[in-house]
Amino acid sequence: MVKVNQGSPQHWALRTLGVALIALVVVWVPTQMSTSRIGQFSDAFVLIIAAMSLNLVLGFTGQISIGHSAFFGIGGYTAAILIKDHGWSPGYTFYAAAVIAFVVGCLIALPALRIKGIYLALVTLAVAVLFPTLVKWKKLAWLTDGAKGIDSVRYDEIPVWPILGELKGRDGRAVFAYWLAFVLLVITYLVCRGLVKSRFGRSLVAIRDNETAAAVMGVNLTVTKVLVFGASAALCALAGVLSTLRTGVITPEGQYVTLLGSIVFLLIMVVGGAGTLWGPIVGGLVYVWLDNTTRGFGSESDGVIGFLFGWSDQSPATLILGLALVIIMFAAPYGLVGLIKRLWAKVVIVVPKPAGTSLPTTGH
Amino acid sequence: MERLLQYVFDGLSLGSIYALLALGLVVVFRGTGHLNFAQGEMAMICTFFTWQFHAWGLPLVVSVLLGMVAGFVLGAGVEVSLIRRVAKKSEAGVFVVSIAMFLGFNSLAGMIWGNLPPEEMPSLFPDEPDDFVKIFGAVWRYEYIGIMIVALLLMGLLFLLFAKTKFGLAMRAVASNPESARLVGIPTGVVLAASWGIAAAMGALSGAMVGGLAGELTSLLMFTPFIYASASATLGGFDSPGGAVIAGLLIGVGEQLAAGYAPGWIGQELRLGVALVTIFVVLLFKPSGLFGSTKVERV
Repeated sequence: MVKVNQGSPQHWALRTLGVALIALVVVWVPTQMSTSRIGQFSDAFVLIIAAMSLNLVLGFTGQISIGHSAFFGIGGYTAAILIKDHGWSPGYTFYAAAVIAFVVGCLIALPALRIKGIYLALVTLAVAVLFPTLVKWKKLAWLTDGAKGIDSVRYDEIPVWPILGELKGRDGRAVFAYWLAFVLLVITYLVCRGLVKSRFGRSLVAIRDNETAAAVMGVNLTVTKVLVFGASAALCALAGVLSTLRTGVITPEGQYVTLLGSIVFLLIMVVGGAGTLWGPIVGGLVYVWLDNTTRGFGSESDGVIGFLFGWSDQSPATLILGLALVIIMFAAPYGLVGLIKRLWAKVVIVVPKPAGTSLPTTGH
Repeated sequence: MERLLQYVFDGLSLGSIYALLALGLVVVFRGTGHLNFAQGEMAMICTFFTWQFHAWGLPLVVSVLLGMVAGFVLGAGVEVSLIRRVAKKSEAGVFVVSIAMFLGFNSLAGMIWGNLPPEEMPSLFPDEPDDFVKIFGAVWRYEYIGIMIVALLLMGLLFLLFAKTKFGLAMRAVASNPESARLVGIPTGVVLAASWGIAAAMGALSGAMVGGLAGELTSLLMFTPFIYASASATLGGFDSPGGAVIAGLLIGVGEQLAAGYAPGWIGQELRLGVALVTIFVVLLFKPSGLFGSTKVERV
């Protein structure tokens, strides 16, 4: 066991090492891996952004939402409609989607001011179920193309980025989507980090831990809850735009547009660690890995997996996810990040700076 | 007038199924204070059990009863093995575990029964095209009448259980104050397991009726009814059994009227939407439902 002082050269060396390792992996994926593998990572990044947005509302503020798939869908549809029907350049659709989702998020938060816990869960459940129904509504077909959704959303020119050079063809598009998703992921992470470590973030945690006490301490419950819901919706819409740009398709029954999407975001956040900044990142990568690995399990598998799941033609992927979720709740209630922190603490302990020592001393 | 009567009747019949499922949610909520997100999926799996018993040659009524027993065992087993243990660790954990069960049961049903050709589910009641009576010009199908009678009968039994038996008293005691209930010698653990069991058994019955109406079984059977049921429980107030029943019937009638009188705007696709928007509006003005009690918190 090693003890390291916060802010000491050793601490900085450890941090630099960590960042370098991550940077290595991030660059290694698009340069060395197959196109389908790159696609899986982009998919993971999209999900991580969505889970991060949910984390703001659920993990940090303690307001249950299973309606985030609707915000994801709003983002996806905004991008598809603006690009295809109105000829917008894809870059601007991010802003439009964020603004629309922010407004919708704030509106949905209004009943959230008065209702709590289970009732809030059910209102957001209603939102999640309502969104695909509305999109399929025949009176809105002029906008959303009804049940068949909007396909072949194309952007013609891929901007030439300084280091990447010119990206061409299908593989080039995959690499471009990967970097786009990565940049957005970093931005989302920084926004969340900025929010959480600010005065605003402290009031979120105060609301989560004890709403009455937070109000007594001077936190404006109304403004804080509405704003955090709006911000979270806007971030989730960005993930939706990204998904549409990556796949070129959005349908009302699409993977993350229905209630199942909300469940996936929640699962990622819980598995990674709710209320932590790194939770969604770890959770998203683990989810996509687990999903892609277990999808192939079935009658063709051999060995233990064949013995366990060979009796059914259908993939046990969802069952395994459910089991994983239960195991996590029992073995690591604070998620994988909580688990990693606990194990890491046995190797290296970062001793925090004593409070007040970094203040400039006034001469006496 | 005939149309109105027809819509009201159809609505009451569908609504009584929602009410039954909603009552299950309320029983669980009053007992343990949790929302069982997997209520619908547990009902769905029990309906497959029912179908399986029937396919093995048992009469349908016996199969349904066995399905309800299986539901009771499943519900009580889940409470004892998972919910109770995770509730000790964290409150939000129970919600997460019920979502995990939602995924798990759905996938499991698909894996076990999904590859057979679509299951034909016989109805508990006569459901040939000419099995109906005309009252005041409206068509009253025997199946709908049967569903309504069975649902109302079961609800009546439940209210007797709550109000007149010692067990019902114990359930109410645990719901209002678990600590004191334990102190006066009520076996809280048994009561909680039984609440989950009763809720799941009621789900099994409503599953059999929904399956009979649909005519075939899929793993998606109970998803929409569950949404309606949760809308009913929310509208009625999660801690009020009577409220859940009234709200279930109201939602059933309301959606039929809306879909029937505005076929161009609402029609069949947006029926569910009407129910959801209604609860959204109601919660804005009455945050704990129409009949729910407001929770007063001590600071």
